[in-house]
Amino acid sequence: MGKIEAMATFTNVYITILRWMLPVLVAILLVRCIRPLLFFRREPEIWAWLCLPGDRKIPVTHWESVIGRHPKSDIVLNVSTISRTHAVLTRYDDGSWTISDADSASGIQVNGIKKKIAAITQEDTFTLGGVTMHIKPISRRQEKRLAQLRTKVSTFFGSFFNVILLTAIQFFCALGFLLTAEAGEFTSILMGFGGIIIAEWILLFFYITIRRTAFEVETLAFFLCTMGMSAIAAVCPGEAIKQVFAMGLGIGLFLTVGWSLRDLNRAKIIRYIAAVAGIGMLVATFMFGTEIKGARNWIFIGSFSFQPSELSKVCFVLVGASALERIVTKRNLFLFIAYSAMLVGCLALMNDFGTALIFFGAFLVIAFMRSGSVGTVALAIAALVFAGVLALKVAPHALDRFDNWRHIWEDPDGNGWQQTSGLVAMASGGLLGLGPGQGWLGNTRVFSRDADIVIATLGEEWGLIMVIFMILAVITLAVFSIRCASVGRSSFFTIGSCAAASILLLQAILNALGTVDVLPFTGVTFPFLSNGGSSMICTWGLLAFIKAADTRQNASFAVRISKQGGDEDE
Amino acid sequence: MNRIAARAWVVAILSGILLGGFIFFVVEFMQKSSQWVLSENSPFVDNNQQLSEEQRTLDYGTVVDRDSRILVKLDEGRVYSQDADIRKTSIHWIGGRDGNISAPLLAAFKKEMLAYNTLTGTYSYGDSSPVTRLTLSSKVQKVALEAMGNYKGTVAVYNYQTGELLCSVTTPTFDPDNVPADLETNPSTDDAYYNKFIQYHYTPGSIFKIVTLAAAMEELDDLDSMEFSCAGSYTMGVDKITCTGTHGKQNIQEAFRNSCNCAFAQLSEVLGTHTLAKYVEQFGITKAITFDGITTAEGRFDTDASAVNVAWSAIGQFNDEINPCAFLTFVGAIARGGQGLSPYVMDRISVGDNVTYRGSAELNTRIMTPRTAQRLQEFMRSNVADKYGDWNFPGLKVCAKTGTGEVGGNKKPNAMLTGFVADAQYPLAFIVCVEDAGFGQSVCVPIASKVLASCKEVMDS
Repeated sequence: MGKIEAMATFTNVYITILRWMLPVLVAILLVRCIRPLLFFRREPEIWAWLCLPGDRKIPVTHWESVIGRHPKSDIVLNVSTISRTHAVLTRYDDGSWTISDADSASGIQVNGIKKKIAAITQEDTFTLGGVTMHIKPISRRQEKRLAQLRTKVSTFFGSFFNVILLTAIQFFCALGFLLTAEAGEFTSILMGFGGIIIAEWILLFFYITIRRTAFEVETLAFFLCTMGMSAIAAVCPGEAIKQVFAMGLGIGLFLTVGWSLRDLNRAKIIRYIAAVAGIGMLVATFMFGTEIKGARNWIFIGSFSFQPSELSKVCFVLVGASALERIVTKRNLFLFIAYSAMLVGCLALMNDFGTALIFFGAFLVIAFMRSGSVGTVALAIAALVFAGVLALKVAPHALDRFDNWRHIWEDPDGNGWQQTSGLVAMASGGLLGLGPGQGWLGNTRVFSRDADIVIATLGEEWGLIMVIFMILAVITLAVFSIRCASVGRSSFFTIGSCAAASILLLQAILNALGTVDVLPFTGVTFPFLSNGGSSMICTWGLLAFIKAADTRQNASFAVRISKQGGDEDE
Repeated sequence: MNRIAARAWVVAILSGILLGGFIFFVVEFMQKSSQWVLSENSPFVDNNQQLSEEQRTLDYGTVVDRDSRILVKLDEGRVYSQDADIRKTSIHWIGGRDGNISAPLLAAFKKEMLAYNTLTGTYSYGDSSPVTRLTLSSKVQKVALEAMGNYKGTVAVYNYQTGELLCSVTTPTFDPDNVPADLETNPSTDDAYYNKFIQYHYTPGSIFKIVTLAAAMEELDDLDSMEFSCAGSYTMGVDKITCTGTHGKQNIQEAFRNSCNCAFAQLSEVLGTHTLAKYVEQFGITKAITFDGITTAEGRFDTDASAVNVAWSAIGQFNDEINPCAFLTFVGAIARGGQGLSPYVMDRISVGDNVTYRGSAELNTRIMTPRTAQRLQEFMRSNVADKYGDWNFPGLKVCAKTGTGEVGGNKKPNAMLTGFVADAQYPLAFIVCVEDAGFGQSVCVPIASKVLASCKEVMDS
C-alpha cells in the first residue's frame, strides 16, 4: 500500500470514527456544563439583618429589597399601617445602605425625622408605619462563615477537565479538516482552531489567578465558537484568522463590560454613555452606512467593515437595566420606550428587519420586567406603534419573507433556494453528519451559508444531533439567567442578564427556526456560530451580563466576592 | 427583588419558543428528510436533468447491465459506455444528459442509489459509490438493434418465470455522445426520445386475436365443435369484413392459424361487444402497468353498437390500441399457465457491501383458467410449427402469433409478432412491433429469430 493510499484509508477510518465519537464527547461536555448551571442550589447571600422590635431579625438577601405588606415583597411586614410596597432598602458597593420611600401612605422616618431617602448605618433607626427598626450589616466574621457555608459552584479541577475535554473536541475537529483540506488552507485552519484553544486556556488561567472557578458559561460559548469555526473551515477557511481576531476583541469586551458591572454605581454612570453610543452608532450607520442585501447596516472604513447595530445591542441592555429603587419609585417607562422607539425606528429606516425584531423582543422583555402587569397597557401601545412603523417602512421587504414562509418548496430554484438548499444539506447530513469538510453546502455558492444558514452547513457536516446540542447550549444560558434572577443582588443585574439572554435567544430563534422554515426567514446571526466579527464581539459583550448576575460563591469575575466595608478582595 | 425575579419567566417563553420550534423541526426532519434529500433540485440524486457545475462533482455511481458491463457512470455529467450501440440501446432506460428523454427508472431508485437513511444521512465510507444493475443484457440489446435495422419500433424479451426484462430496444434511437444536430427535425429520427415499449401504443392487428380467442375459450363450451367458413370476405349488413385469403371451412384452431378475419368476425357475433370488453378488462390488455417507478401507456378497446365495428375490434383493428409492455405481460401470463408476472428492469443496487435494493417480479392475479392457457399455448405453438416454421428458432420451442395492424394514411401497416418459448430452460416471452413495415410474419419473424437466438446464447453461457 502506497503512502497516499494509506493516508486515504486513515482519513476514511478517522472520519468514520469521528462521526460517532464527537457527539458523545460533546454530550459529556454539555452535561458537565449544563448540570451546574441549571441545577445549582440557590443559596441566598446574606448582607444584613433587619432588626425589628422584640428581637425579631429578618435576613436581607439582596442589595435591593422591597419592604412592604405585599406577600411578594422581599421583606414582608404584615402590619396594617405599612403600605403594600412601602420602602426600598439598598446596599451600595462600599457597604453603605440607604432607605428610600416608595410612595407609601405613611412615609418613612429616620431617627424620627420624615425622609424621602436617607443613608443609614446600624446606629440609625427608621420607622415604617409606626414600626421602628434598624439594620445590622453582618460582621466580617459572619460573612466569612457564610461564604464557607455556601456551596462552591465548581472546582478548579472540574473547569480544568471541561477545558481539556473541549480542547480534545477542537483538536479532533481541526484534524478532520486538516486531513481533507487543500494544502493552502492549513495555516488558516490551524490558526482558527488554535486561536480558540489559546484564548480559552488564557481565560481559564486568568480566572484561576483571581480565584473564580465557574467556567461553564464560557465553555459553552467556546464550544459554539468552535462549531462556528468548523463552518468557516468548511466554507471559507481564509476568514478563520479574522474570526479569531474578532473573538479576541469580543473576549476583551466581555471582560470590560463584566468589570464595569462589578461596581453598580460605575455601571449606572456607564449607562448614560451607552445610551448615547447606542443611538449614535445607529444614526451613523444610517447616514454613512452601506447597503448589503437590502439592509443598510454596514459601515466601511477602508477595508475594515462592521455592523454597529450589533454593538448597539450591548448598549441597549445597559440602558434597559435599572435599579429597583428607581423601578419602584418611578413607574413610568416613558424615557425607555422613547429610546427603544428611536432605535427600532433607525433600524426600520435601515431596512434591517431582523435586528429591529431582536431589539423589539428585548424591549418587550425589559419593559415587562420593569413594569410587571402595570405596564401592560403601555407595552401593548408601544408594541402597536412599533409594529406600525415596521409594517409601513419595511413592508415590501418583510412581506416577501412572509410570502415564502412555509412555501419554500414551491419555488426551490427561486425564492426558496437558500432554505431548500439548507434543508437538503441538513437531510444529507442525517443525525450524525458526513464529517469535516465532507459536506456539499460548504462548496456551493448558496448565500450566507456560514452565517444566516450556518446551522445547515453544520448540520450537514456534523449532524442534526450536534445542531440540537448547539441550540441546547443557548437555551442553557437563558435558563441559567432565569434561575439566577431570584438570588440576584440588584434588579440592574437581573434585568441585564435576562435582557442579554433574551437577545441571544431571539437571535437563535430567528436564525435557526428561520433557516429550517419554522418561522419566516429574517437573516440574522446565530450567537457565536455565525461568521461575522461584529456579531462575535457583541455576543461576548452580552455574555458579560449573564456573568454579572451569577452570584454563586466564587463563580463570576463580574461579581465581587462579598466583603464588607468596601474592602477589595484582590 | 422577588417581584423582578418572578418576572424572569418571560425569558422562559423565548426559551420555550426556541425549544418548541426546534422540536417541531426535528419531528419534520424525521418525517421528511429523505423527501428533501431526494427532491427534484437536490444535488444528491441524479434526476436525469441538466447538471449544474456543482452537481457534476458529485458521484451518483455506476449503472451496469446484467453482466456488469458499464452502461453509464453518473458523475462528471454522465460518462456513457464506450460502445456506441450500448449507448444507443440503453438510453431510453437510463436517460440522456439533457432530460429530453423521460427515463424515470433511475430517479425512482434515487433513495436506494443514495443509500439514504436519517441516521447516517448520505454518508458512505470512503469513496464507495453505488452500483446499479439492470436486468437488461447489452449483448442481446445490440443484436436487437442490429436486427431492427432501419425499421422504427420496439423489441422486448422478458423471462416470464422471473420477470427479468432481458431486452428492450426502441428505434429510432440516437447516440448521447454524438447527438445529431437535426435529431428533432429529421423525419428518420421522429420520436427518438420515446421509449416505445413503455410510452407507445400500437394498433395490434391480428395479435389481438389471441385476446378474442382466449375470451371465446373462457366463454364458449362448444368452441371446438364450431365451424367457421371463409369466402375471402364476410358480409355484415351493408359492410364487409375482408380476409387475407379464402380459407373455406375451418375449426377454431385452423381459423387462428390462418388468422382468418371472417372466422373471427363470426366469433365476435357470438361473443358480443360487451363480453369482449369484459375479457379485455380481465386480461389487463388496456390497463397501464407499473413497475420500477415506470408506468406504461394505456391501451384502448371501445365497445360499439355496429356489428362490423365489433368484428374489426375482435380482429385488432377499429379503435384497438395496445401497449407493447402490457401485451407482453399478457402473453407471459399465457406462457405461465394463466397467471403472469410483471416485468422488472432494476436488478439490484449496492453501495459498498451494502445491498440497498434487490429486484423481484410481482405476481399478478390469475387472468384465465390453466386450461385456457394450456390450449392457447397449443394453438400458438401450432402457428409456429405448422406455419411460420420452427427453422426460424433453432433449439427453441416457440409459440407465437403475428399481426398486421392497418394504420391508414400513407403508411404501411404495423408488423407485429408476440409469443413465448415453451421451454422450462428458456422461459422467454417476446414482442416485436415494427411501424410502417408490412406483414407481421415477413418483417418480425427474422427479428425475433435473431433476438431469441441471442437470448438463448446469453442464458446458456
